[in-house]
Amino acid sequence: MTTVPNITEPSLYLDGIPHDRFAAMRCEPGVLWHPYGDDGFWAVTRHAEVREVSRNAEMFSSAIGHTNLWDLEADALEARRSLIDTDAPDHTRLRRLIATSFTPKNIKLWEDTVRRITRELLDDFVATGSGDWVELVAAPLPIRVILAMLGVPLEDADYLVELSNYLVEGTGDTQSIPPDAFGNTTELRLLPFNSPASHALFEYGEKLAELRRSDPQDDLVTHLVQAEAADGDRLTGSEYRNLFHLLVFAGNETTRTALSHGAIALADHPEQWQRVLDDEGLIESAAEEVLRWSTPVLHMRRTTSQATELAGTAIDAGQKVVVWYASANRDEAVFDDPFSFDVGRTDNQHFAFGGGGPHMCLGAFLARLEVVVLLEEMAARGIRLERRSEPVRTPSNFVHGVLSVDIGLAG
Amino acid sequence: MTGPDHDLVTVAINADTCISSGQCEMLEPDVFVVDDELVIGVVVGAGQLARSRAEEVVDRCPAAAISIVAATEE
Repeated sequence: MTTVPNITEPSLYLDGIPHDRFAAMRCEPGVLWHPYGDDGFWAVTRHAEVREVSRNAEMFSSAIGHTNLWDLEADALEARRSLIDTDAPDHTRLRRLIATSFTPKNIKLWEDTVRRITRELLDDFVATGSGDWVELVAAPLPIRVILAMLGVPLEDADYLVELSNYLVEGTGDTQSIPPDAFGNTTELRLLPFNSPASHALFEYGEKLAELRRSDPQDDLVTHLVQAEAADGDRLTGSEYRNLFHLLVFAGNETTRTALSHGAIALADHPEQWQRVLDDEGLIESAAEEVLRWSTPVLHMRRTTSQATELAGTAIDAGQKVVVWYASANRDEAVFDDPFSFDVGRTDNQHFAFGGGGPHMCLGAFLARLEVVVLLEEMAARGIRLERRSEPVRTPSNFVHGVLSVDIGLAG
Repeated sequence: MTGPDHDLVTVAINADTCISSGQCEMLEPDVFVVDDELVIGVVVGAGQLARSRAEEVVDRCPAAAISIVAATEE
């Protein structure tokens, strides 16, 4: 390939993932160097190598540098460091502090809550008949669930949804609020997504932690403040703040994306939804296909800890290696007919939750539950969706966001 | 059933590297569980699985913390 196509320009993603560019890159031997800013990165586009990089966390570090394409100054990296930007043993310690809340058997305990919230939202949607699916269903569902898990009082939910929306905006290239919004005095470069909403979210997390220290409840924040106090496993103030922030953001943005693209896919492929209506045994595979199809996070960046080789390409120490889940999830070598949406797809080894390494999405089983319950409740009501507008997408090469899409009930 | 794929093997979890992701619990809930107190995955009972299935679980552990420790004698 004489010229590597640009896959980082955010505005490209306004028209959807540039699949033709990724498909061309997957055909090339080795891994390709993609210019970026004054430097560049190794673009990993095939399923096999995305997996190899993801699973070799010692070589392909998350702690050196940043997990986004751009670099951060050392103080900003430290201030913003969360579970995502750590390697073992820090990563193992932090992850274990919250991991048990997200295991299959413990996530199952939240099924009734997820179902109640889903029913409320679907009943309202059916009563309204049509509207912006993101606003009516995809956004409120996951945020209400994660806030319930964290122990955020219901009356504060709207405020956290608002903050979270500003963070989503921060993944694009504009921020509609001034740097001093929410009383922020921190330099934006020290805040996740360079957003003053991060300051507000940190502050809210501190306030809730304070409340739970004196009045423990059966929720995640209580669990975290108790871990903070325990000997040995001490969670620092900065670690708590960033973890709270990560849970609110990740519990919101990514599942919202999956539920949005899921609705679009079901509306655009009515024959696939009919298969599910005819055979509810397909709900689980349909949910996995929604996850593959939506790929909520498009890529993650790693940095080599030593010189190495990937697919026969020599890579120096300290270079950026970027794994593109968006590409791996359409890899012809792994998925039969990867561009068809097939609710009966078997052995669907998609990378919607990462490439199978230690940074695998913490909320994977929760996200699955939310998708499954939504499909079950839609099927139970015999809901058929119809798309009434083009989706408005987030101009971001990092998240596959949908800002709005008009969906109605098919007649 | 016979053949090497169906031979029973014994699996174990490395307590130092396990990140409690729950993948093993999802794949084989009768053999693995993430222990809420220990905060790591543990093997339930004898920890025996058919070799092919054990290999799949080993392969799907994001922390590469599961290993086949022994072939089980019938």
